[in-house]
Amino acid sequence: MRMVNLRAPYNARRFALALAVILLVGFLLLPSQLQGVFQQVGSPVGWVVSWPLRAVASVSDGLADFWADFVALQGVEEENKQLRRELEYLKGQNSQLREAAAATDRLTALLEFKAQALPPMVAAQVIGRDTGNWYRTIILNKGESDGLQPDRGVITPAGVVGRIVKTTAATSVVLLVTDPNNAIAGLIQRTRDEGIVEGTSEALARLKYIPLLSNARPGDRVVTSGLTGGFPRGLAIGTISRIDKEEGALFQSAELTPEVDANRVEEVLVIQSPYVPTEGERLGPPSTKPKP
Amino acid sequence: MKALVYTILLLGLVPIQSVVLPHMIPWGVRPDLGLIVVCLVGLVAGEFEGLLVGLAVGWLMSLFSAESLSFGMITKGGIGYAAGLAGRQVVYLTPVVLVIGLFMISILAGLLTAFTLKLNDQQDLWWAIRAVVFPQACFDAVVGGAIYWVIWSRLNVERLSAAYRA
Repeated sequence: MRMVNLRAPYNARRFALALAVILLVGFLLLPSQLQGVFQQVGSPVGWVVSWPLRAVASVSDGLADFWADFVALQGVEEENKQLRRELEYLKGQNSQLREAAAATDRLTALLEFKAQALPPMVAAQVIGRDTGNWYRTIILNKGESDGLQPDRGVITPAGVVGRIVKTTAATSVVLLVTDPNNAIAGLIQRTRDEGIVEGTSEALARLKYIPLLSNARPGDRVVTSGLTGGFPRGLAIGTISRIDKEEGALFQSAELTPEVDANRVEEVLVIQSPYVPTEGERLGPPSTKPKP
Repeated sequence: MKALVYTILLLGLVPIQSVVLPHMIPWGVRPDLGLIVVCLVGLVAGEFEGLLVGLAVGWLMSLFSAESLSFGMITKGGIGYAAGLAGRQVVYLTPVVLVIGLFMISILAGLLTAFTLKLNDQQDLWWAIRAVVFPQACFDAVVGGAIYWVIWSRLNVERLSAAYRA
């Protein structure tokens, strides 16, 4: 048993109470302004914290690498990594090819399909996870000083990872596509039905607001629609594993298995410029009148 | 010296919480080291330091999470202040009292978070209690008790802190 006897004087207690009340009232009356101030002040502080964070992350990576390369099955691990990289690359390529093929089928032979060029991207490394239990996020080793800003899309060659929600000078917090608070505009590649992709509490994703008449089925791939959310069209989000139709509901929804396993992702690409669809992309191809 | 200890504590918390713990506890819910530290500081050093350390910990940890900065600061600051007030009522702090206190505070903080967050149709309150609040409170109580036992029983930090006060 230990006696607790380290106590602040009476004036300090009053000061603490006053400080607490001022902050509480401030956050209630001016929530966004005060939060903005603390976010701004937090940017250089985040840079300072990023140093021990990177140091611990690199030690952790080193230990993990040591374990993987020397203690665990060395050859198999390396081969597995290589195959995974290859698989991710092929998945991304396959997704883009499917999207290109679907678009080509949809357009008439008179229209020329323009392959969409991806905007400039910045490579970043995952150095940590969310500090709480309520959100599914990852922390990147790039921040405002590298040109990253909130709402930028984050991807891997296999597909969508999430979007940036917070930045400091040297780090960024990415809300994963599997978090229920995330929402990305999605499109079923085969049927062209659009919806909103949200995360689920089981770390999967769900495409909501699919029209009732849609004939979407398990196995269909869902890609970004490019309309909103900072992502260009055609990036893989996931594959439909189950369709849910509720009696009397106006829409149906689909459970998705995400293309990217966020627990294993180590390097990502951040779309640096905010993606804004062109007028042509938003309106679709013009209808042509047949010549008399 | 105390400021240096607090600075090291604050700088070390984020890497341990976001890098080390996910490797050690890979199945989802992890203890909230920030909450444990703020509780211990509040209990030992009083409500003033509990509040200040709570605000700083809440702010720093929210910078590396999707959580709202204001909510993180108010919650952790409030926990530090409440722990300080509770500590004034406790003459002898035993590990059992600490573990029960940490469990209760963690449950209350978790419920407050669940009520404040706009939980969607997949995440009702029961889901939040079952999946996050209760497991985290158990972790917090066990880890907090372990930290208390290691620091107070093994390193005899109380004597060192008494020397700083002298």
